Amino acid sequence: MLKKIECFIQPLKLDSLKDALIDAGVEGITISEVSGFGRQRGYAQGEKPNRNVKFLPKVKLEIVVDEEILDDVTKTIVKLAATGKFGSGKIFILPVEDAIRIRTKESGISAIT
Amino acid sequence: MAAEKNNVWEMTLSRLDATMDLLKIKPGMQKYLRQPRKTLEVSVPIKTDSGSIEIFKGYRVQHNTNRGPAKGGIRYHPDVNLDEIKALAMLMTWKCSLVGLPFGGAKGGVIADPTKLSANELEHITRRYTFEIIDAIGPDKDIPAPDVGTNAQVMAWILDTYSMDKGHSVPGVVTGKPISLGGSQGREDATSRGCVYTILSTLKVMGIDSTDLSVAVQGFGNVGGNAAKILYDLGFKIIAISDVSACLYNKKGLNPFDIEDYFKKNKTLCGYSSAEELPREEIFGLECDILVPAALENQITEKNAGGIKAKIVAEGANAPTTPEADKILKQNSIFVIPDVLANAGGVTVSYFEWVQGNLSYFWTKREVNLKLRDIMERAFYETYKFSSEHKVDMRTAASMLAVSRVAEATSLRGIYP
Repeated sequence: MLKKIECFIQPLKLDSLKDALIDAGVEGITISEVSGFGRQRGYAQGEKPNRNVKFLPKVKLEIVVDEEILDDVTKTIVKLAATGKFGSGKIFILPVEDAIRIRTKESGISAIT
Repeated sequence: MAAEKNNVWEMTLSRLDATMDLLKIKPGMQKYLRQPRKTLEVSVPIKTDSGSIEIFKGYRVQHNTNRGPAKGGIRYHPDVNLDEIKALAMLMTWKCSLVGLPFGGAKGGVIADPTKLSANELEHITRRYTFEIIDAIGPDKDIPAPDVGTNAQVMAWILDTYSMDKGHSVPGVVTGKPISLGGSQGREDATSRGCVYTILSTLKVMGIDSTDLSVAVQGFGNVGGNAAKILYDLGFKIIAISDVSACLYNKKGLNPFDIEDYFKKNKTLCGYSSAEELPREEIFGLECDILVPAALENQITEKNAGGIKAKIVAEGANAPTTPEADKILKQNSIFVIPDVLANAGGVTVSYFEWVQGNLSYFWTKREVNLKLRDIMERAFYETYKFSSEHKVDMRTAASMLAVSRVAEATSLRGIYP
């Protein structure tokens, strides 16, 4: 079964994470520079939030993997994206119904490996 | 003929013995796995259309039920005999085990020629046969399905007879029902679709990511016809299609949809204009990448196996390759996807039908096909991994994997009482 990981991390963590993800069996990653806020509304640890939210820069990673390696991949992200502070990010896991590689028409797991 | 019939059972047993020896299964367990659990032989009397009484003989064999209720087809054919039914029941045990379905194996049959019986007489045979085996079957015990000479209508009669006896509707007692009675979407082409998934997985492990490959399909019935159409849609070049009448050949590719239309009109492949007509035996010697035998048993023999030029043989039919021919294919490094794996799509969607019937919740065709792909791919990769790790061919790997799971289930359950 295919699963999609959408995760939001601190931009500085991307460099070390990408190599570890390849080691964990990931065959492709799409990233985008995004901004957002979470429970802290964009305020740093210790800061007192007011009504105005602050959008902070984050990197979003989109990765589709086989269920078999999903746990390894999420563990890798949790380990390497952690900052020990608020704002380290989040991981979302979504079911993927199907995938198709355009060049070969391969579908399912074959399309991503 | 009698000697040959005994052969089916003896041959199945000798293949099982070889597998059990490889697995180092203990003698006691070997004895257990060789025997069917239950064998029923019943008389099926009916009153014919002319008012006379005819007696038919029917069988139902359950080989092993330790992994779940028994599952297997019912065939109506004049050559049906107990040895054949026993062998086919055992093969169903291995097939369900290999694909990971929670079923044991069964098979049934009636010695009758459905082409010489009226619909009325077939209904009488089916209902009386069902009544005679009624205590042995049921959605939690043994679930019949169509086979040679039986179809969705026959399943509908079994369903009705069983349900009348129980006093309420029991759609889960058979699979292969008409969709209006709880049949599954996607069952019609399930065997072919499953076969195609195993071919695609084979290409994947061979590192071939192109569909610019040529295919020869032997047989243009349900399995062969649908396999040709699915492969054609995926972009494969179907260079040859054969059936009992002829072998159509075109190096540039055939359109199976067009051929199907021609066949529906003319009831034969002969005379189709956009292809060369070859003697049907020649399908095995053609230059192609993939060969799909999807007709009868024992088609690839020691006589024609040496001439096969395909790199992949995907056994859509049951037992299309004789043991002698199998050795030749192995020597020539041809990758054989064995029948027990390549044609397991049919029983897999039967399983889906049973699940849907038990839940009274039905899936779309897309859901069925995606779930089928998951199961077929998993079974393929498990078999492939086993074959690489143990350095055996795919057929041996499939038997070893299947038998070891049944042996494990049997040993975990222990001997009652």
